[in-house]
Amino acid sequence: MSMRSVGASPRRVGGHGRVTGQQQYVADIHLPDELHVALVTVDCARARIISVDRSAAERVPGVRLVMTADDLPQPVPRFGPQFRDRPVLAVGETKFHGEPVAAVAAETKDAADEAARLVLVEHEELPPVYTIAGALDPAAPLVQDPALRAGDALAESNVLAEHRYEWGDIEAATSDLVVENIYAFPMVTHFAIEPHAFIAAPGEEGLTIWSSIQHPYWLQRIIAGLVGLPLARVRVIAPDPGGAFGGKQHAKFEPLMAFMALRAGRPVRLVLSLEETFQAARRNSAEIRVRTGLRSDGSITFREIHADYLLGPYADISDRVVGKGSYPGNGPYRVPASRIVARAILSHTTPSTAFRGFGAPQVNWAVESNLDEGAKALGLDGLQIRLRNLARRGEKFLPYDTPADGDWQQTVRRAAELVGWDTELPAGHGRGIALGIKLGPTTGLSHATVRFLADGSVLVFAGTSDMGQGSRTIFAQIASEEMGVPLDRITVVSGDTHVVPYDQQTSAARSSVLMGNAIIEACRSLHGQLRDMAAQAYGLDPQEVRVERGVAHLPDGEVPLVEVLQAGLGTLGGELIGNGMARKEAEPDHPLGGTAAFYELNCTAIEATVDDETGEVVLVRHAIVSDVGRALNPLQVRMQDEGAAIMGLGHTLMEHLIYDESGRIRNLGAIDYRIPTAKDLPLEVLSDVVENADGPGPYGAKGMSEGALLCVAPAVAAAVQQATGVVIRDLPLTPQRIWEALDERRRSPSPEVVS
Amino acid sequence: MPRTLDVELTVNGAPRRLEVHVHHTLLDVLRDQLGLTGTKECCVVGECGACTVIVDDLPVNSCLMLAVEADGHEVRSVEGLARAGELTPLQQAFLDKGAAQCGFCIPGQLMAAQALLEQSPDPTVADVHEALAGNLCRCSGYEQITEAVLAAAEEMRR
Amino acid sequence: MRSFDYQRPATLTDAVALLERHGPEAQILAGGTDLIIGLRDRTIQPSVVADLKQVPELRPAIDEQDGWLSISAGTTMTQISAHPAIRRHFMALVEGADVVGSVQIRNRATLAGNICNASPAADTAPPLLVFGARVLVEGPAGERRIPIDEFFVRSRETTLLRGELVKSIELPVPREPVGAAYLRLTRRRGTDLASITLCCGVEPSGSTRLAYGSVGPKPVLFTDKSGVLADPATAEDAKLAILEEMLSAASPSPRSVRASPQYRRAMLRVLARRGLRAAVERLRGAA
Repeated sequence: MSMRSVGASPRRVGGHGRVTGQQQYVADIHLPDELHVALVTVDCARARIISVDRSAAERVPGVRLVMTADDLPQPVPRFGPQFRDRPVLAVGETKFHGEPVAAVAAETKDAADEAARLVLVEHEELPPVYTIAGALDPAAPLVQDPALRAGDALAESNVLAEHRYEWGDIEAATSDLVVENIYAFPMVTHFAIEPHAFIAAPGEEGLTIWSSIQHPYWLQRIIAGLVGLPLARVRVIAPDPGGAFGGKQHAKFEPLMAFMALRAGRPVRLVLSLEETFQAARRNSAEIRVRTGLRSDGSITFREIHADYLLGPYADISDRVVGKGSYPGNGPYRVPASRIVARAILSHTTPSTAFRGFGAPQVNWAVESNLDEGAKALGLDGLQIRLRNLARRGEKFLPYDTPADGDWQQTVRRAAELVGWDTELPAGHGRGIALGIKLGPTTGLSHATVRFLADGSVLVFAGTSDMGQGSRTIFAQIASEEMGVPLDRITVVSGDTHVVPYDQQTSAARSSVLMGNAIIEACRSLHGQLRDMAAQAYGLDPQEVRVERGVAHLPDGEVPLVEVLQAGLGTLGGELIGNGMARKEAEPDHPLGGTAAFYELNCTAIEATVDDETGEVVLVRHAIVSDVGRALNPLQVRMQDEGAAIMGLGHTLMEHLIYDESGRIRNLGAIDYRIPTAKDLPLEVLSDVVENADGPGPYGAKGMSEGALLCVAPAVAAAVQQATGVVIRDLPLTPQRIWEALDERRRSPSPEVVS
Repeated sequence: MPRTLDVELTVNGAPRRLEVHVHHTLLDVLRDQLGLTGTKECCVVGECGACTVIVDDLPVNSCLMLAVEADGHEVRSVEGLARAGELTPLQQAFLDKGAAQCGFCIPGQLMAAQALLEQSPDPTVADVHEALAGNLCRCSGYEQITEAVLAAAEEMRR
Repeated sequence: MRSFDYQRPATLTDAVALLERHGPEAQILAGGTDLIIGLRDRTIQPSVVADLKQVPELRPAIDEQDGWLSISAGTTMTQISAHPAIRRHFMALVEGADVVGSVQIRNRATLAGNICNASPAADTAPPLLVFGARVLVEGPAGERRIPIDEFFVRSRETTLLRGELVKSIELPVPREPVGAAYLRLTRRRGTDLASITLCCGVEPSGSTRLAYGSVGPKPVLFTDKSGVLADPATAEDAKLAILEEMLSAASPSPRSVRASPQYRRAMLRVLARRGLRAAVERLRGAA
């Protein structure tokens, strides 16, 4: 078996464009005759719209269209991936700061910006709901009109949905220790360096949308439904997003652009500012109560998890985030009895959505921290208690779901080794270790087409969005491996729903597995055709020919597939076309509608030191190990894992959106919303992978890229705890927060204080 | 009425004469008037560095410089790095070390790193971090970016 | 960004006349790293933007004359940081200049712009206060000099009068070595606006100057001539009492998203102790 391409780290497909500035993102694309759009908003989250006066705006030279809700079909169309709850423009009342009341299209960006300021929105500010407690207050205003949720028993509350998962008998469990606490995870924003950008153009053949979207096919469906066009008349072009991280999964302002383009009869473009991007998407914040029963040897007897996630006013995909993020909340451990109750709670804050980890980092922060508190009380260390409870390969640790699909102990031991778990710790330093799992896709559908061209080069059509993870490189490697064609003769085409066959979505670390398998199937279809071709060309019975991995095996030797192709095509030329599909069927009886295709398991171990006068943390070592099944491209695996780990330092140490009483983000923009820079790195980042070729993807691969974010916060907090003695249950662990905990301890007589 | 001014500047070695709006930034003019879209727009407050270009041998945020301020100056953008399709050692190192993930911050990172290497051919890790502290990468490929800059420095010293 | 009248005066006289004519309607463009942010978010909406970079007297220059080191208004943070005389005599100013934003910012931002923007968190302000800088101003009535501790009023407001502009900032070259250190507190190790800025300078006589910012409307300076702070033989408690007194002007805003007043007050103490220690050590090292 050759492994020429897979398992190596060839240069990234699209890399050349990325280092020369030639890579075109949506904002870099201009259409002739385009109009520039600017959004009209009011300066608070929740306001009753009394009237909209567009006369001054319309007088600005160059203004071609001022669009208000009245100009849309009535009732104003609503959309959303889970619920059709979000109006194309605010109707009657704004629900979050930044929600457009109107939009202006003009010949220049300057004119659009100027006119947008001149649209007078007479409004009455209303008190918003912007915290979990505020939303649950019986006196709180309802964020959504109950009529939107007809027949829903919760419609008269701000709870959008409640998810319950339960197994075993909690009450019957006997424990030597029960640890119970509440943990908080902040609102954070994706901060992709590319702000969202949208273009819509009407044409003879329907509507074309350009978007920095992760899920172009889903967007196509949403737009087609909204404007009443067949799918074949809605073309979504999705250039590689400049970072997405979940924030670009679903439609944001594309529906508005579609209606504006149709009304103006011209292309319209909207490139959000970074501030508008902050107002467009964020991670769900959460408050999580965890109660864990433990025996004195550290084994878990039961666990209760009550997780309240704070959503924005419209669900986007967040209800799914809550359900799928909380279900594996117990982590990769055997927990004989558990009750998980997770609620999706609506508020007048930024619409929340998917974000790397999809709801799991929030619960993992709480549960792993709670486990550490139990370990400490029992006199066990973090590594011991984890190994004590960690599921073994094949163990059905999560009822109703896929058994443990890796040698997870190996991952944990490797992380402990990298951080030097058993070595002596310098004074003032602390260590922490944490584990996390994330479920791969529970359902999915990916189509791929592979065209084997007359000169032996290959075109791969795969609808995955290459948003930084390097999916096209992986696909080229797979095609190279299967067809025996060098990488420089392979092109991967993506990002156009009129050209590339259907792919459900780019999320849940699915693409290497699902799209990868679809490409393998397409290649195997070509193999079948090539076998017949070889039999005919060389006068053999097809049974005598075996095709695999780029080679046709004949009774008297091997022939490269390229030669078979050329012999078979003859002088007429042409090509062979192979189609492949990977489906993961829904399982209606499963709590999530389907079992996990695989688990992404990560172990993170941290050594940190804290300045006990200022509360500043320095990470001395940050070790991350992921079970990836097989690293199809080791360099890309490392980039993804280390990137996820450093991104995780953001919500762990510095990131949080701060709201005021009017529901506005106070730290809106790059000056006061801090993310890690090159100077905020751990002194040493050590990453490694476990490869046992035990995944369901090509050559034994599992999905990866989210895992290394799951465990950062609990591992850092555990290290801070060991270094300082203080336990902190709210993120981020800012210097101020750590100092406050240290200060409280200095003032209090008890040896350990909890913040 | 928007006011305009004629300016003369050198962009990637070529002299350019153009009329610019006085309130447009160098970033606006590079992207919208000259079609040099390799330079990226993100925060427009000088925090993210995506718009970094080199003006008279110094890296600057083109979002915080009016285009009229570039009058009489020499501007280099990412499009000016590779010559005749030949990547510079720095671009090559970014590819080889896996420094580019989504790629959106990369033009800015490259220009900041290029300016660093022109001034200090043998930088330390701390020098690289300092030089690139104003260039955010949300894919957080900082480890690989740093490795790439150090590798390019070594290559260029040969 | 709203359009404006862009002017590029060629002489100092023209510049002053322009500023006098338009008064508050005119804004000076030097490095632009604060101004352009304000123009874009429309917190500043001038009708005239006066780009002074063509004025010969304001071009980047650092000169030493008659015991004063003069930094022209057009001099950038990068140029300040690289200058041997500044590094020799005023290292704490270099420490301040080196943390003003990123390299890209420091290549444009000027010292004059930093003080005229008058942010309470300006990184160069505490060192300038400690070193006893003065601001050379050109205006309709000619030249005048403003001691730096009489220059700041509050954010975006200074004691400059209508038509006046900063020509240079002058620093007295110390006859004997001074130990000085600049410290700041930020939310991350990477570039950040400071939640506390602090500079401490100790003279061989023991006289100690402490300047700090970001805890009130403007950066402030206090001097203790008793020599107690710099004296290694004095008990820590006695020093702390004096420091407390010097820090009592702090009135951090409860509305800040960067840090709470309690944290700021506590960190001011920490930084003051550390700044004093560093300054004393440097003085000793220089001696």
